[in-house]
Amino acid sequence: MALFEQLLHILQGPMVWIALGVFAAGLVVQSLRLWSYTRKNNPHTIGFAANPRIGEKNSRARRWVRRSGAIKTTALGASPVVTGVSIIFHIFLFITPLFLMGHNVLIHTATGIRLPSFSEPVSDVCTLTVLVCGLFFLLRRLLSRNVRALTSAYDLFLLLLVMLPFASGFLARHHLLIDYRQMILLHMAAGELMLIMIPFSKFFHMIFFFFGRFCIVSEYSLAAPKRIWQFHSRGAKQ
Amino acid sequence: MKQAGQVDPEPIQRILEKHKREIRMGLKVCAHCSLCAESCFIYAASKNPRHMPSYKFIHSIGRLQRKNARVSRAEMEKIRDMVWYDCVLCTRCYCPFGINIPSLIAMARQACRTQGLSREYEKDPIRPATDGNS
Repeated sequence: MALFEQLLHILQGPMVWIALGVFAAGLVVQSLRLWSYTRKNNPHTIGFAANPRIGEKNSRARRWVRRSGAIKTTALGASPVVTGVSIIFHIFLFITPLFLMGHNVLIHTATGIRLPSFSEPVSDVCTLTVLVCGLFFLLRRLLSRNVRALTSAYDLFLLLLVMLPFASGFLARHHLLIDYRQMILLHMAAGELMLIMIPFSKFFHMIFFFFGRFCIVSEYSLAAPKRIWQFHSRGAKQ
Repeated sequence: MKQAGQVDPEPIQRILEKHKREIRMGLKVCAHCSLCAESCFIYAASKNPRHMPSYKFIHSIGRLQRKNARVSRAEMEKIRDMVWYDCVLCTRCYCPFGINIPSLIAMARQACRTQGLSREYEKDPIRPATDGNS
């Protein structure tokens, strides 16, 4: 029992700060690393991006018409259900823990900063949304022929690791399944492990996505980016 | 069939070394979501998971990277089939994260060329896409 108390003490105290520190530092370091792999695009470069419309001053309405046409060629057009579930999953993945009252009370106690919080029933709905979407992905991983062809045990581990803090948090709050303190231990351990892993594992797509879709010139850009990849060492230009 | 012979890993290793950041990044970021599948016209025609763009880059340049180019001639020929016959490098593949899949497939083609492997247009002008099981 003493070991359990010690573990709980570590996971509640120093480990929270270590996990948040590694997460934040990892995000910064990895973002800078990715940034160093890019360079400003030469506006005169002729390539697939030398679209006559690029560089043209488009009206807002025209830009939207162009974008909505472009959506058909993207995942949203080709697989609207999976993409829709994915968007919902990722939004709730972030807002649920960020606006959870229990978390914000702890943050307030530790730092004096008061963050806005959802009411508990709203948080419950958010948590269940993440879990339902996660379950959808899990079933898709196990049942879809295409996804199965790519799936490894690591993919399943990562998906379960994402779902675990949400499932254990929900079960702990409602005092279900096992003792509250054991459940909350599992909740913190899983949450902290996930935070630490984000910058260094496949979760890295969280950072790469913003580069790939918002910063790098490509046909599928979601903004008007000005940079291109430059993976080679800086000495060798072009 | 191709002439019997060994794979010379050295020129492939040079390609892997030159592009290691891009290859590692692609392999690391790919969430194995399969959303790229529908963007490939070869996949659209066959519905074979082996024709998904992600599958093709993971099992061509990805495989070479993981094995540091120490693959058999038969494996190399399989990679050739994947990147020369199952892909025409039309560059229409779509990755929700923005992985440049054509760039990675092009590297695998480069690796094949160092071993004298490419599409044999004169012998095989209309060979259909492979079923990937051979």
